[in-house]
Amino acid sequence: MKRKYLVFGVLAAGSFWSAAQSPTDSLYGKRKVSKTDIQLVYSQYIQNGNHSAITGGTGTEKLLVYSPDLTITHQIDSAHGYAINAGVDIITSASLDNIDFVMSSASRVSKHGFIDLSYTQGFRNSRLRLTPSGYFSIESAYLSQGLGLSLESQNKEKTRIFSADIQTFFDDLRWGRLNGERPLKLVYPVELRYKQWFSAYLRQSYNLTLEWQQTLNRRMILGIFPGFAYQHGLLATPYHRVYFTDSTEKVENLPPDRWKIPLGIQLNSFVGTHYILEAYYRFYWDNFGIWAHTLELGLGIKTSASLTLTPILRLYTQTAARSFRPYREHDPSEKYYTSNYDLAAFQSYEVALEARISGAGHTGPGTIFKECSFRYSYYHRTDGLDSHILTLLTGVSHRPKPASISAF
Amino acid sequence: MRFKSHLRWSRYACPGLLVLSALLCWESCKTVRPWQRSYLNDDAMQIGKRPLEKFSTNVHTYREAASGGGKAKGSGGCGCN
Repeated sequence: MKRKYLVFGVLAAGSFWSAAQSPTDSLYGKRKVSKTDIQLVYSQYIQNGNHSAITGGTGTEKLLVYSPDLTITHQIDSAHGYAINAGVDIITSASLDNIDFVMSSASRVSKHGFIDLSYTQGFRNSRLRLTPSGYFSIESAYLSQGLGLSLESQNKEKTRIFSADIQTFFDDLRWGRLNGERPLKLVYPVELRYKQWFSAYLRQSYNLTLEWQQTLNRRMILGIFPGFAYQHGLLATPYHRVYFTDSTEKVENLPPDRWKIPLGIQLNSFVGTHYILEAYYRFYWDNFGIWAHTLELGLGIKTSASLTLTPILRLYTQTAARSFRPYREHDPSEKYYTSNYDLAAFQSYEVALEARISGAGHTGPGTIFKECSFRYSYYHRTDGLDSHILTLLTGVSHRPKPASISAF
Repeated sequence: MRFKSHLRWSRYACPGLLVLSALLCWESCKTVRPWQRSYLNDDAMQIGKRPLEKFSTNVHTYREAASGGGKAKGSGGCGCN
């Protein structure tokens, strides 16, 4: 809890410091270039599989998610701006029924809502941008609050960007906030409610992402993203079952600490006058014993001035967590155990197609169409899980009539 | 046993070689004037998180153990991995 206050204190101090800098910065010509961007995204997700962790690594994983998402970004002037992102996920899950083995009803519907607020303060003389942010998210199975702070620096020629992004999340995994159940408590599978399996119900996550972006030449940009994440608390999901070789049954149990080290590298190249090649690779390791590699390749094809088509291929491989065993293969003497196939060894691939129609390069006042995009992808995991993801995005931009220049 | 040690070596070698090649690219970078940025300023050339990919990225965070690394969502805030 003390750590939570410490993080909050650091963020608050950062915000006050940034506010204290603004009068000095205004002397450097804070231009009124006010602009508002509104972006609406709708996604739909259909999943099928047969390794549900709720039923111990066997059973249906059918899932349907509808997800509208709205982002409003307002640029007050060239140095200040804020963004609001809010959305809802409506989730129909067949496997959630199996916490209670409700077989007669239609699949259980769960809702997830979130809001993400951020404010950006720029410092013209030092080319620094500071962005504190706050996050709130709620679902039947958890409540999450988060704070973040991002610092970005750019060189004079705008060819090199360095940024550091710290995010903290405080998750409460007790059930019942959205359906009014009181008291709030961890929910276990129906036949395992004869005792309290966990005394902790909180999970803290701390993420650090660094970004180093370099323009290599007139056609190439390189980005390097080292990161570090630490999670502490209840990392197991209390309604996941595990079956042992002696036919006994328990609730999933995972170590209370997890360290993750990702390292991502991306290279974007403009080839000729119509093609953009995007290459991304990520290495990942964590102390659960998982090693993973991700490779993603995209080829943007500019068929006209406003239309870009991008086919994408993503390949992924991971080793299993030490605590993972399939259905009924766990030894009863093990300390940590899970049959969640998200922590199993598998490979996956995803093929996607994006189509983007961008608005004309109109910069005058008024409301203009900015872009309309579509993305379809098919995802397959070698344990048999398949999914289809559909996303539609539309965006408009509004500029008021020519503004005054405040500081000249 | 030999295969295992080879596998362990390749785990470190893959990211190591990539970082090395990235650093070599870095050394060869050229100055780009503002009027030479027409390709670099194209929307599709921008590096970072893109709203159109956000939902897919979240799916990867739920369905795979790995997270973070620039393009992907970080840990926490979702009751997931």
